[in-house]
Amino acid sequence: MLKFLPFIWRNLARNRLRTTLTTSAIALAVALVCLLLTMPAGLDAIMSSLASNTRIVVVNKGGLVYPLPYAYLNKIRARPGVVAATSWTWFGGAFDVDRGVTFPNFAIEPDSVGTVWEDWGIAPEQLEAFRKRRDGALVGRTTLQQNGWKIGDRVTLSSTIFPVSLEFQIVGEIPLERAPHFWFQREYLDQALRAKTGTGLDFLGTAWVRVDEADRVELLLSEIDAMFRNSEAETSSETELSYMKNFMGQLEGFVTIILIVTGLVALCLVFIAANTASMSVRERVAEIAVLKAVGFRRRLVFNTLLAEAVLLSMIGGGAGLLTALGLTQALKAAGAGWSPALGPLGSFIITPTIFVQALFLALFVGMLSGWIPAFGASRRSVASALREVF
Amino acid sequence: MIELRDVSRTYKRGADAIRALDHVTLDIDSGRFVALMGPSGSGKSTLLNIVAGLDRPDSGEVVVAGQKLPDMSEDELAAFRARHVGFVFQFFNLIPVLTARGNVELPLLLTHLGKAERRERALTALRIVGLEERAEHHPNELSGGEQQRVAIARAIVSDPEIVVADEPTGDLDAKNAVEILELLRALCTDFGKTVVMVTHDARAEAHVDIIHSLDKGVLADPEMAARA
Repeated sequence: MLKFLPFIWRNLARNRLRTTLTTSAIALAVALVCLLLTMPAGLDAIMSSLASNTRIVVVNKGGLVYPLPYAYLNKIRARPGVVAATSWTWFGGAFDVDRGVTFPNFAIEPDSVGTVWEDWGIAPEQLEAFRKRRDGALVGRTTLQQNGWKIGDRVTLSSTIFPVSLEFQIVGEIPLERAPHFWFQREYLDQALRAKTGTGLDFLGTAWVRVDEADRVELLLSEIDAMFRNSEAETSSETELSYMKNFMGQLEGFVTIILIVTGLVALCLVFIAANTASMSVRERVAEIAVLKAVGFRRRLVFNTLLAEAVLLSMIGGGAGLLTALGLTQALKAAGAGWSPALGPLGSFIITPTIFVQALFLALFVGMLSGWIPAFGASRRSVASALREVF
Repeated sequence: MIELRDVSRTYKRGADAIRALDHVTLDIDSGRFVALMGPSGSGKSTLLNIVAGLDRPDSGEVVVAGQKLPDMSEDELAAFRARHVGFVFQFFNLIPVLTARGNVELPLLLTHLGKAERRERALTALRIVGLEERAEHHPNELSGGEQQRVAIARAIVSDPEIVVADEPTGDLDAKNAVEILELLRALCTDFGKTVVMVTHDARAEAHVDIIHSLDKGVLADPEMAARA
């Protein structure tokens, strides 16, 4: 078969525009499939890199929207193995009321922030300032950048949940691109509510807990949930990684939909490639008849035509694979270099498995698209083809 | 070399059955240049296809180069054609993406010859038809007469005993037509090939050994023609 390769190659180069367009379509689709295939593992890797293995989260068993009694926090803090715990209570504060809530803002306990998120690298002096100043706020780097704020600025947020607007002074930065939070002291909100409504803040949204050892985490999860079982608000405790995965569950469903759509795109691709192969065969009825006349057997005609479709598809698939590979490597390099915001995208990696899957997809497209036209051409009687042509 | 006994062939065209050959009996000796002539639809090309192993009769016997063609499978017929028959068509039918040499080499891809040997034989065939210097030209760079010469080189490159030609001068001007007829004549005279040619070209009479006339699928008595 190898000696026919130059002949097959020249046939591919016969209509360069059509070959280029078909190859490009296959390359684009294979690149898209490759990138999408990196998503599940990539998202998992991102979440694993973000999550601490000694940090757990406690929420209402009924769901995130339901609060927990604030008294739970001290009970959790009292458990053996708990190094620190803090609460998150969603403030729903809008800097510009017309634009609504544009970054997540929470009321928290300033004393335990540095311990619970010690891996986030908040400067000690800024943590100290946050502890000391009742109206102080720690703000994520991206939120600072997006709003043009800096440390020392005063910012007022109007809550969309509580009947208060609070003015804050930014005292520190959360130096993470992926943490756009705006944290302020829970006591500040509690006092404002008491002043406004006569009732303080007696609940929390989420409790974050730092555990002393990773080995103790599983036990502590069960202990906390057991402690509040059959209470007015049962809890659901999980690791930070598990919590993030649940939170991203909807996104994973979205990825599944994208993968299904990608499958359909691949199927369309088969039809496009099959149409190209059919056109190519139709244009060469006379030539194929001549090949058979001079002694090319049916199987050989079939094989050369199929090889043509497969070669076209494999070239497209290879180009798509290299494109996807280049893109993921570029993102990784960009994330490590000039654009740290792209850092997490470095987790989208073309693994050897995806590499092989992409090549098989290209092979599959080539085989499927070439099979029917090649089969038809190989079975056609030479005499009838010659009669039709001549 | 070629024996046909009581050969009939009917085609279906829609609901109609068209009798292309009607109990044709014909013998062609080795090394002869034979013309099949007759009006359009008389069955000339059908007879040529059957002789060349491209088509099968409905009934009758066909023995070519000692082999009974109707008994062969499709693959056996393909092998038979590759070994025993060379083809020349009216519209040359060269592969446009291959050079003249590439076109001539094509039948040799079916052999076990190495690349160098295939190249050498192709150039030899092109030399015979007087086109060695045009070996690396593509068909669109050749005149009609040159393309037909390349087609003849392709037909003889695997050294078959029989060359079949379907209207080989039909798409050529008078000068080129005569040159092609002379070339086919030379295949018989100089290389001992048996050439069977379908033609409407009256000039062929001066070059062939025998003319067989067909009309409505029936073979008339052979008219012996003197060689020019």
